[in-house]
Amino acid sequence: MTSMPAQAPLRANPARTRARLRRGLVGWAFLAPLLILNVLVVLGPSLATVYYSFTDWSGIGPATFTGFANYTHAFTDPAVREALLHNAIWFVLFLTVPMVFGLLGAHLLNQVRRFQMLFRALFFIPYITASVVNAAVWKMLMSPDSGIGHLLGTDHAWLGDPSTSLYSVNFVVDWHWWGFLAVIFFAAMQGVDAQLYDAAKVDGANRWQQFKSVTLPGIRPTMVFIVLMTIIWSLKAFDYIYIMTHGGPAHSSDVVSTLMYDEAFNQYSAGYAAALGLSMTVVTGVVLAVYQYLRRRGWEE
Amino acid sequence: MTGPQLSRRRILSGAGMAGLGLAAPSLLSACGGGGSGSAGNGTGTVNLWIDITGDANQKYFNDSVVGAFEKAYPKITMKTTYYKGDDLRRVVQTALQARSGPDIVRGPSATQTLTWSKAHVLTDLTPYAKKWGWDSKLADWALKAFTTNGKLYALPMRVDTMMLYYNKTLFEAKGWKQPTNRSELEALAAESHGQGIVPFGSSNVDWTAAGEWLMTVFWNHFSGPDALYQALTGKIQFTDPVFVDAVALLKSYFDKGWVSGGTDKYFSVPSAEIGANFGNGKVATIPQGEWFMSNVGQYFGAKAKAKNDNDWDWMPIPALRDEVKYPLYEMGIGGSFAINAAGKNQDAAANFLNWYYGDRSAALQRMADVPATYNIPITFTDSEIPTKTDPRAARVLTELNKAVSSGNYGYVTWTWWPPKSDTFVYQGLEQVLTNKLTPAAYCKQLADTFTEERKQGTIPQMMPRGASQ
Repeated sequence: MTSMPAQAPLRANPARTRARLRRGLVGWAFLAPLLILNVLVVLGPSLATVYYSFTDWSGIGPATFTGFANYTHAFTDPAVREALLHNAIWFVLFLTVPMVFGLLGAHLLNQVRRFQMLFRALFFIPYITASVVNAAVWKMLMSPDSGIGHLLGTDHAWLGDPSTSLYSVNFVVDWHWWGFLAVIFFAAMQGVDAQLYDAAKVDGANRWQQFKSVTLPGIRPTMVFIVLMTIIWSLKAFDYIYIMTHGGPAHSSDVVSTLMYDEAFNQYSAGYAAALGLSMTVVTGVVLAVYQYLRRRGWEE
Repeated sequence: MTGPQLSRRRILSGAGMAGLGLAAPSLLSACGGGGSGSAGNGTGTVNLWIDITGDANQKYFNDSVVGAFEKAYPKITMKTTYYKGDDLRRVVQTALQARSGPDIVRGPSATQTLTWSKAHVLTDLTPYAKKWGWDSKLADWALKAFTTNGKLYALPMRVDTMMLYYNKTLFEAKGWKQPTNRSELEALAAESHGQGIVPFGSSNVDWTAAGEWLMTVFWNHFSGPDALYQALTGKIQFTDPVFVDAVALLKSYFDKGWVSGGTDKYFSVPSAEIGANFGNGKVATIPQGEWFMSNVGQYFGAKAKAKNDNDWDWMPIPALRDEVKYPLYEMGIGGSFAINAAGKNQDAAANFLNWYYGDRSAALQRMADVPATYNIPITFTDSEIPTKTDPRAARVLTELNKAVSSGNYGYVTWTWWPPKSDTFVYQGLEQVLTNKLTPAAYCKQLADTFTEERKQGTIPQMMPRGASQ
């Protein structure tokens, strides 16, 4: 048995240092392509967006510095207020409707023993179908002259009536989303200890009480994560609205992202659109910060 | 300014020219300026992004435009990428800003292309125009629309006007006559609406800017081209009652359910469905641009997908006020071709443009082959219209020639209105139709936006009033 000299750990070993350095370099070399790509496609445009948000840039050509004019305009712009209200309505509906149906679907799926895979696949299909396809199909289904409503005896123009356009698009988004949530919640429910249900039964809990007191607390981390993602997705809702209504009629289904698109590419106000985008990024950042704060406080546990 | 400054040369009887082209192709290709290659010195690959949709249309463009050009210029290869119309402007603008993109820029309207020109992303075409004498081949008014500070920055792609398409079979069965004035039009609309037939089919579902087609019709045929000319040159404001009343009249047609069965259906029934209903007689007329001529046939006839025995035709838009002449055709340009200032192959791109506009035989053949789509504003006479041209398409060409000669022409919004004002025309109209804005408030906002943009100089040289000499 040999013993290590007492001073050995204190002395720098050149070979070990070189090896560590080499390992570090190799690591960075592997990371470099992704980092460079990120700098080019994320950081670069992000910094450009910050710059342009302080200018009157039209989307092409030179830009003139205008200070906080775009931001002050955004605060007083009725179109922004209306779009934010629509974002809020969208958020409430997008958070509650698919969540309720997702939980219900997962709970029912949990009871089923036969054809479980079939139901899971059926639930998932709307989610994996491209949004442009879903939107185009529903656009036809909602036509007042030949859609489902027409067959059922009503010729209401769901997408053409300003009072129903936003809700109609939201219905389609909820429809495509709830099945995904059902499958996610179902997977989370599989992780809940079966003994807890047995104990609850012994205590005389009915199904609703079991669901409320065992299932929901058991899948809380998943639910919290889904809530967070729902908030973020609500803020960046765009594709279905753009495809189905373009934010119309008369801005009745505009949310901030579709308004931004309109400002940038139709109104030639790319600087203003950049300011709106940046403002929404700040809102999203606040949401993430609140989430992190609550997480540290043990809300997720 | 009302002086008769238009060139006497006829604009677009294009389709007709094919006959001449077939009769004397060698003579015509020699007439086509540098078309035969003598003036061109470009080589290599030329990139073109264009918004032609549908397999048949793309095949025609590949074979009869790109293929024909490459045959004439073997040292140049065209690389064409197809986009949807809505996407193209956004994609091109982004690429131009990045000093990238295609060599040949398929641009939007004159005023929007003017914005690109001011950003110095388009090449000055004046040297090419002088070299190949483009001013003698293209209509003067169309070239001027793309000329600013003496520099030509794009070439006009297609001459646009608005027409009233009608189900000819339905009209004959009902004994309806073609209306020429407002009272006849409204009597027809009331009668057809009473019989459960939609008088005017229109939809903005697939093209959100469709509202400006309607405003173009009502401002030209109610307010009149003289009033429009004065407004566009800053002599009167869009707040003038003659413009407000036109908006109110359009809204009243919507409120009566005459347009697509009502506002909500205009916002929700896809245009293909409107077209199908037009073909089977549930819609009596469709106010649309001449470009619709290349699509309308699919909704009619036993051989078409429509599977009906009906036929269509078109008529001029009736005069909506006694003071406005009939027939009257609003004129404008649907898109443009320019050369990317950052393009690496500008000479070869210019060779393509020179061939496209200068080779009359090929240009006229295209007009004859595909109704309305390839109506470039080259100069020609009515007698040059080929006999093989669909008579309805040929009538468009002769009528537009007459309109230019007689001065009975107006102005389409997508060519003569500056970009933000143009956008407001159709976006603001949505607010009028949904009662968020009154016609007066709509015109006030338009006037404010227009005045601001006019100060910035984003208005093209106007097509003047008066008959050509």
